[in-house]
Amino acid sequence: MLSYLLSRLKYLKLLGQNYKLSQSNSTASKDKDEKSTTSYLSASLKNNLNLFKESLGNNYDVVIREFTINMPKQVDGALIYLTGMTDSKIVNDSILKPLMFESQLDKTTLTSKLDTIEMIRTTMLSVGEVSKSNSINDLVDNCMAGTSILLVDGCTEALLIMTADWKARSVDEPKTESVVRGSREGFIENLLTNTTLLRRKIKNPDLVLESMKIGQRTKTNVCIAYIKGLANPSLIDEIKRRLNNIHTDSILESGYIEQFIEDAPFSIFATVGNTEKPDSVAAKILEGRAAIFVDGTPFVLTVPLLLVENFQTSEDYYSRPYFVSFIRLIRFMAYLISILAPATYVALTTFHQELIPTPLLFSMASAQEGVPFPAIAEAIGMGVIFEILREAGVRLPRPVGQAVSIVGALVIGQSAVTAGLIGAPMVIVVALTAVASFVVPAQTDSGGVLRIVFVALAGFSGGFGIMIGLIGLFIHLTSLRSFGTPFLSPIAPLSVADLKDTFIRAPLWAMITRPSFIGSQDPKRKDFRLKPSPPSEKESQSE
Amino acid sequence: MKSVKKVVALMTTILILSLGTTGCWNRRELPSLGIVMGVGLDKSEDSGKLEVTAQLIKTSELNSGGTGEGGGGGSGGSSAYWNLQNTGESMFATIRGFTHKSSRKLYWPHNQVIIFGRSLAENGVQEYLDFFVRDQETRLEVYMLVAQDKASDILDFQPKLEKIPAVGISELMESQDANSQTCVTQLNEFVTRLMSPTTAPIAPIIKIEGPGAKSELSVEGTAVFKKDKLIGQLTKEETRGLLWAINKVKSGIIDVKCPDCAGTVSLEIIRSKGKITSQIIDSKPSITIEIEEEGNIADQSCDANLVAPDATEKLTKQAEKAILDEVESALKKSQKLKADIFGFGDVFHQRHLKEWTQMKDDWDEIYSNLEVEITVQAKIRRSGTIGRPATPEKEQ
Repeated sequence: MLSYLLSRLKYLKLLGQNYKLSQSNSTASKDKDEKSTTSYLSASLKNNLNLFKESLGNNYDVVIREFTINMPKQVDGALIYLTGMTDSKIVNDSILKPLMFESQLDKTTLTSKLDTIEMIRTTMLSVGEVSKSNSINDLVDNCMAGTSILLVDGCTEALLIMTADWKARSVDEPKTESVVRGSREGFIENLLTNTTLLRRKIKNPDLVLESMKIGQRTKTNVCIAYIKGLANPSLIDEIKRRLNNIHTDSILESGYIEQFIEDAPFSIFATVGNTEKPDSVAAKILEGRAAIFVDGTPFVLTVPLLLVENFQTSEDYYSRPYFVSFIRLIRFMAYLISILAPATYVALTTFHQELIPTPLLFSMASAQEGVPFPAIAEAIGMGVIFEILREAGVRLPRPVGQAVSIVGALVIGQSAVTAGLIGAPMVIVVALTAVASFVVPAQTDSGGVLRIVFVALAGFSGGFGIMIGLIGLFIHLTSLRSFGTPFLSPIAPLSVADLKDTFIRAPLWAMITRPSFIGSQDPKRKDFRLKPSPPSEKESQSE
Repeated sequence: MKSVKKVVALMTTILILSLGTTGCWNRRELPSLGIVMGVGLDKSEDSGKLEVTAQLIKTSELNSGGTGEGGGGGSGGSSAYWNLQNTGESMFATIRGFTHKSSRKLYWPHNQVIIFGRSLAENGVQEYLDFFVRDQETRLEVYMLVAQDKASDILDFQPKLEKIPAVGISELMESQDANSQTCVTQLNEFVTRLMSPTTAPIAPIIKIEGPGAKSELSVEGTAVFKKDKLIGQLTKEETRGLLWAINKVKSGIIDVKCPDCAGTVSLEIIRSKGKITSQIIDSKPSITIEIEEEGNIADQSCDANLVAPDATEKLTKQAEKAILDEVESALKKSQKLKADIFGFGDVFHQRHLKEWTQMKDDWDEIYSNLEVEITVQAKIRRSGTIGRPATPEKEQ
């Protein structure tokens, strides 16, 4: 069976190679085609327009506006743009209006020796971002991204006028990471807005936003953000290398990028982090990490990712440290509960009944009396039912979602116990597990898998099985790396100074250094002696 | 790809191997367990064989209301326990014989009490204890008791506050610290004494007191064993005398006469320490028992002002006297029984090994005539929330 699966995998891999080959063939032939035909503008507007019509096809959203420019002598021109991706106000008021009407008034240009296109660029267009190009491919690509193209008869170059603007969601509170205290901004689907949100947090020229395009067909904008002088250059090089290796036709979400660049694709643990919150991204890149923005998604990737980051929230640093430290420990505990509680229950009730305190054994035994299924079947069954309910609740429209939770609570929680199908303690254990799994949202997916694995191990060999599973889990965790950083650091390898922000969160004035394991170039974060204290008597007297 | 294959192969091996381990050991669901809460050992009246009473809980009845009067040997409809009886020659065979009668296999780790019937205890308990020490399911922390009469009667006595008699007895044992007049004994303590060549095992005595419907289960005093045979018993006062010396008094009440008048004053023990040391002077062995006690005035029936320094002094002397009397009475009884319940033999063994080798053979004789010096140092610490009693102040 397994060998069959493996051969199947190999087959898929071969398929992939074939696909890559055929694709490179096709792109090569395409290049050849383009080279054989004219890929550059000619001097004739008519020819140029025909070329554009050919490559843009008869798309309904392409606008080709032909008009006459009233220069000293009348010149024919054409503006090509996509409606819906351009700001019609800029097109009308800042391009068409000056070219068609206001140029008449301007007689100073008469004597100019500049060629037509340069004259238009320098004297007539009141748009910030204008450039020139003569390659048809380049022009078409830019047009697809919302740039307007101005063609002028007799010129072998065209102007690219930045007019891109489209409807986007407004900056909103993120749905996945809600906070009580702290910024409520969340990223949106627009890359420019997202990088702006970050730039607003870090007003520093050292914040570098490097852009690239990934995906042959989608041509998705991807942007690497880091702070020059903090982020390790080898980390940035490695990110660029991995991003450049992505030869795929489409990038629709940052999850695509994540799965192409992660260190351990077979692990159930993610080694690339993601967040919707600009303040989280800012904090992470200020620690020396790098962020990867992808156009079209509010989820921004951060690397390297450590296990402990899943247990931290941005709010931890905004609240005072005492309660936060307690909550950190609670989060670690809740994660352990979410993966181990059903397994422990199964192990206790089927192997180690002697470990249950006698009064508790009484209530558990009487609740379990007459239940038809063995504990392991109950645990796995209830776990699956819970996942079904959760998934239904997530996917269904909100009004129906309520019906699902009522059915879940009544049928599973109440009736199944009353009917004697399931023991009440098992319902409690599953409910506790479910609630605990929501405490660490970033690890909900790994928790779900581990829970089932541990229940199976416990059902086969009790506490011994759980122990074997835990040892295996820790061996696996220590083997993981995220962009060169050990996944379990600062716990393994141990870095005592960095434990200040792991199980507890030290006061901000005590966290003087950046985490060393990320490899930041400037380890010192702030001054010593920042601890606030009342003014000493001497000082107040002198005042 | 190669390493993935390796990992997959390894995982498969582990999974297949772990499949093989199922079923061949103790995987049991809760409803398949016959949970034993108490066990009573008696000598059968007809055949003289061993008669074992195992108290199982009826898990289905645990949550149904009412304590269910009268278990009636398992026939009572609403009681939460089932007393299962079997007779046999050996302990383990008798216990395994329960499988003929019980649909669920007996599960021992939660057993709370082992009760020996009197007639069985008089004939020796060692052969029956072996199972409880050797078996991996039984625990050494279980309470050991001796029934005044038959153990099966005790296990069938429905307590008023608990549903399960054995649980009632075990809770009763846990509350004995408050009087320190019962020698609460766990199996491991009993077996440790049994293993010593000289020290006599002890166990508390449990009996049904009072007539018919008004009867109550009561535990007090001490059963004294010689080797593994029951030979006598100590009263409540003698038991506390023993516990003073072996440093097991936790709390309790000492009643003394009021130094000024005819009333009674109750002193509550709050702290106590007992220490046994041995000396051999001119080849004559002797023992010193030192007892320190601290107490509070808990109750007084007269109107004397006991917080006055001289009254407290007198009271202290009387408390010391009372403790001394208790210890002496216990010593006298044990010397008469020739049972070394205090463990003096072990003290000599530890401190005077050379002399001990000569003494141990006729230890019984030495013990019954052993010179024991008892020193008691009592203190009265506090007098509760009031000083003198709530009576009009006497004019003097």
